[in-house]
Amino acid sequence: MSTQEHTLQGKSVLIVEDNELVAKFFRMALERAGGCSCLISEDVPAILEHVSSGKIDLVLLDVSLNNSEWEGRSINGVELCRMLKEKSPRRLPVLLATAHAMSGDRERLLESSGADGYLEKPVYDSAILVEKVRSLIESA
Amino acid sequence: MSSPDPRLPLPESFVDEMKRYLHLLPEDANLLRELGPLMEKYLPEMAEKFYAQVPHHPGASRVFIGGEAQVERLKSTLQAWGRGLFNGVYDEPYAEHRFLIGFRHVRISLDQKYVISAMGVVRSFLMEKLFDEFPAREQRLAFSQALGKILDLDLNLMCDSYFRATMAHLQTLNQELEQAGAQLAGANAIKDEFLAQVSHDLRTPLNSILSFTKMVLDGLCTNPEEEKEVLRDVFSSGQLLLRLVNDLLDISAIEAGKLALDIEELDPRAVLDSTLPLVAVQAASKDLQIIDETLEQSLPAVRSDEIRFRQVLLNLLSNAVKFTARGCVRVRAIESPAEGRLRIEIEDTGIGVPVEKRDAVFEKFVRHNPKALRGVTGSGLGLAIAKRLVEMMHGEIGLETGADGKGSIAWFTLPLADPQATEEARTA
Repeated sequence: MSTQEHTLQGKSVLIVEDNELVAKFFRMALERAGGCSCLISEDVPAILEHVSSGKIDLVLLDVSLNNSEWEGRSINGVELCRMLKEKSPRRLPVLLATAHAMSGDRERLLESSGADGYLEKPVYDSAILVEKVRSLIESA
Repeated sequence: MSSPDPRLPLPESFVDEMKRYLHLLPEDANLLRELGPLMEKYLPEMAEKFYAQVPHHPGASRVFIGGEAQVERLKSTLQAWGRGLFNGVYDEPYAEHRFLIGFRHVRISLDQKYVISAMGVVRSFLMEKLFDEFPAREQRLAFSQALGKILDLDLNLMCDSYFRATMAHLQTLNQELEQAGAQLAGANAIKDEFLAQVSHDLRTPLNSILSFTKMVLDGLCTNPEEEKEVLRDVFSSGQLLLRLVNDLLDISAIEAGKLALDIEELDPRAVLDSTLPLVAVQAASKDLQIIDETLEQSLPAVRSDEIRFRQVLLNLLSNAVKFTARGCVRVRAIESPAEGRLRIEIEDTGIGVPVEKRDAVFEKFVRHNPKALRGVTGSGLGLAIAKRLVEMMHGEIGLETGADGKGSIAWFTLPLADPQATEEARTA
């Protein structure tokens, strides 16, 4: 795996995930197996700023965000996704991640959030994550 | 109910409908009124015949709890019923009274088939006596027809009262059943929620273990230091998982009533001395001081389970250390002989718990993890277990604001082994 070419070289991924260890895994997997650079944030104003800058190639967004607030109330990944899509100066692919993998959820979440792809947690395999991110960035 | 408008038909009551159906006419009522005085002398024997049967049915002892005296009283009631039968007033109050008797039978679960058969005996007896009184066929026919009609009406009223009383009883049972069903559904929803939460909480550390292990196996770490760091995450996830499993076993045992306590007379000093060192390392790593203010005190013996006492104390202590970034954690003991309790307090200079969340933190899976404390993880069951354990040991538990308005005081009480013994007496 370490000999594999870095398919995400030069790309920048923003990770929004409330579980510290899951965020850490996403970052390490994308950096090591994909060769991209990663930012991790749960702070909504900071996230919006990153996205507005136009330097982010993809947002990996968790559906349940226990520590994120916007305008005095808690916000989830579905709502945040819609905001990100609006704020971004260019077409920004969003990969929605959730642990609640139930049939029917996928379509509902994709539709209500406007996200481009869906990632069912848990993910153990870095290569799968990298491939999913790569295909979404390429089709953007 | 009479209606002021004569054009509107009166609501058809049961007794009116049956009177029409049986052709029970005013002439019949007149005949029965005529019959009354002639039959009066047979009423005691009629009552004897009726009660020759009824008290001997299976389960009679359950119904006639008053014994002989009760049966004697009931015999005179039956004679009064007989007089009412010949009295010729078959109106609503008459029907209501008859209904009440039927309701009473159902309430005391007097089986109706025995009453109906006994009424058949009464009918035969009255007819026989009527025949004796009127040997001429013509007269006999008119009287016996009138008597037959009123006995039919009476039997119908009785059967209908049985039916209605049984229906009312069934409706009550149904309501109870519905309520029980709703309660069960509620309990089931809580259980489902619990299960969903548990499976999520078990999976989270398990997933971290799997994903980080795979990362090391895939050779994605650039150097041994990084590998070590990832393995530390695997290790702490494993520890969290173990804590969660232990706490789940505890809470299930408590809620199933299967947690046995070994309550005995205990010296709190021994429990404090063996528990405080367990959080010392964690506290030292954060430069927190743990101050045991009880050291100068002579502590009274309490009644408690040693293992569970230690578990509660450890839980409150490690919460205090966990939620305090700088400052200190103080341990205090306050004896209250009037209440027969020893109160143990753990005060910290940490982030505190907002007043509105103080009850909630003792519930299952309610975590007080403000943004400032990212990465602070627990099973979410520690305080719920502590509360149940303290209550099982006949004490109380709670949270208050710290002395200077910051931090919090977690406290619990345990019953004194000997509430009469004073501190002086112990030290003397």
